[in-house]
Amino acid sequence: MPRLAPRRWLSALTGRLSPRTLRNLRSEFRASGLAKIGVLLVTLAVLMAVFAPIIAPWNPTTQDRENAQEPPLGFSYTETQVQPGEDGGVVNETVRVNATVTHPLGTDGLGRDMASRVVYGARTSLIVGISGTLLAMLVGVPIGLISGYYKGRLDDALMRTADVSLAFPSLVLAIALVGLFGQAAVAVPDPLVVTGAAAAIRGAVSLPGGLTYPTGMPETFTLPGTVILVVGIVNWVWFARVARGEALGVSEEAYVTASRALGGSDRYVIARHVLPNSTTPILVLATIQVAAIVLLESALSFLGFSGATLSWGFDIAQGRQYQTTAWWIAAMPGLAIVLTVIGVNLVGDWLRDALDPDIEGEGGGV
Amino acid sequence: MASFGRFLARRTAQGLFVVLGVVTVVFALRYVTPGSPVDFIAPLDASQATRRRIADARGLDDPLWLQYVTYIGDLLQGEMGYSYRSRTAVAPRVFAKLPATLELAVAATVVAVALSIPLGVVSATRRHALPDKAATLFSLLGISTPNFWLGVMLVILFAVQFDVFPTSARPVGFLETVGNLLVVAADGPLVSTAWPLVHLDRLVLAAPLDASGFVADGRTWVAHLFLPAVTLGTYFTALITRLTRSGMLEQLGSGYIRAARAKGLPEALVRYRHALRNTLIPVITVVGLQLGTLIGGAVITEAVFAWPGLGTLVIDAINNRDWPLIQGCLVVIGTGFVVVNIAVDALYARLNPQVME
Repeated sequence: MPRLAPRRWLSALTGRLSPRTLRNLRSEFRASGLAKIGVLLVTLAVLMAVFAPIIAPWNPTTQDRENAQEPPLGFSYTETQVQPGEDGGVVNETVRVNATVTHPLGTDGLGRDMASRVVYGARTSLIVGISGTLLAMLVGVPIGLISGYYKGRLDDALMRTADVSLAFPSLVLAIALVGLFGQAAVAVPDPLVVTGAAAAIRGAVSLPGGLTYPTGMPETFTLPGTVILVVGIVNWVWFARVARGEALGVSEEAYVTASRALGGSDRYVIARHVLPNSTTPILVLATIQVAAIVLLESALSFLGFSGATLSWGFDIAQGRQYQTTAWWIAAMPGLAIVLTVIGVNLVGDWLRDALDPDIEGEGGGV
Repeated sequence: MASFGRFLARRTAQGLFVVLGVVTVVFALRYVTPGSPVDFIAPLDASQATRRRIADARGLDDPLWLQYVTYIGDLLQGEMGYSYRSRTAVAPRVFAKLPATLELAVAATVVAVALSIPLGVVSATRRHALPDKAATLFSLLGISTPNFWLGVMLVILFAVQFDVFPTSARPVGFLETVGNLLVVAADGPLVSTAWPLVHLDRLVLAAPLDASGFVADGRTWVAHLFLPAVTLGTYFTALITRLTRSGMLEQLGSGYIRAARAKGLPEALVRYRHALRNTLIPVITVVGLQLGTLIGGAVITEAVFAWPGLGTLVIDAINNRDWPLIQGCLVVIGTGFVVVNIAVDALYARLNPQVME
């Protein structure tokens, strides 16, 4: 009986794309300007996330109340300040608050640099988005394949479970689970900082205009543990549905029957024939899901459920408290989310146009 | 032979099964979470005897299956238990919040459908022209924007900078607004925000009809509903525009459209009678699948605008670990999802009788 080495399972799961598929991807990329923009935006977000301690101009958690609510470049506002007068009284003085190059995106209510917070926020979004999607895929794809391959009662039972799961909106289910099981926020050491690599690189770079790079970036990074688990669990259904659809179609094919007749075990047939046939739609779905989960994470952080304090959603929530005076505190992280999600969606469109899988716009936003 | 009635009956049976699943999950969730209900109900310094009495009275020591059956029996009678926090009955509180959420969801859907289908059709029929480019850009932005951020930005722009709309809250509801037309009776208002929402016994038809209260309340109602509805509706407007555009393009390129044009049918008839009708079928499927997103979106939109609906209620309940209230909200949300889904399927079956097979 033919058996499949564990290595082959892995490569089947990550998708061995055929030369034809790769050719399609390349030609579609060359033809489409939007695909290029998408790849550029995603690359920028990934670079910000990975090299945050090197790219961020300031420590994103350092407060500087003297320079709080500084506007972003190109903006200024006037503020009335109460100053001590000459004969012991008080004088109202109108002060113009200008933007400075040191804080290109302004500062928040506690004087923290918005640009640095936006750079660091990419980490939370992308880590949750990517690991949440992988988790949903690991749960959903096997269930879908088994369901579509074996059909019958098992299929009915699994698909009714999927229906029940769909009846709870992911955001509501995620809030409920995080609220109940706690946030499990884990502080992970930042390798670039603890090894001294970030400080060394920053020390070596000289900035124009007498600006200096501050050293001493945060040594740990907070991962919202429960949120990663929860977004993975609540989104498994989409992968299960797509994998099942593919498995249903493929399992009727003559080559599958032939493989079984030759003595292939169910496991072998699923891994060798059914799974590789569903990699393309799963890949496209995974891209859409990354976008959906980035949005879901930002919503959970906005509501204060995630436990991450360096997150775009969290910053939008604190920006709301300054909505009458400092619009940029909420605006900047939101723009970062929009640009990242547009990037991921454009990459998704590129894959979809190049690979032409038969799936509907599944996934959903917030 | 599959008839529409039969199809509906089968879908309803499946729906009931899903509702039972929802109830089971909600029941089970409570038992996998840490902490005994007695800890929430009993005072901190309660004696063992008191704790015993509470457990006995609420059947907390009964076998699990008996608690499960009792729970379902209670639900069937509209009983959802009592809130840990406020000690009031859960069901009236949950149902009292329903109109606010429904108003928001319906307003968002109306905005989305009214804007997106014409936009998608124009986009597809005038491909690569300026309107198409604008619609494509809008729909890409719309599906990529987190709605809570959009809400915050709309408030900053239209409520703080330019004082056009109120920032938050819902001073009057639709029912109260319409109730103005019927009458204000002597012993209290016809419609209130507490359960039961409508007091029919107070209904006395007023003559002559006085519409001033209706107009005043209607203005307030629309003003407060506008920004939340736009916030919630944008994602769906964008999504349906995208789907309508790609669907129309596919249909307009197919053989039967060429045949219809060849035989000299007016272009409007070809587009709207033939192409659009077939485009809407897959659009409806996806919209049905996205209902969960609509409800989830309503929850967070309510949080942004302090809109007193189910979303605000469920977030408060979770923050307070108020179990019976969380369960009540989840059961109502899950059931609502199933009911709307059946309605969507029925509409789908009307448009495309093939699915009834």
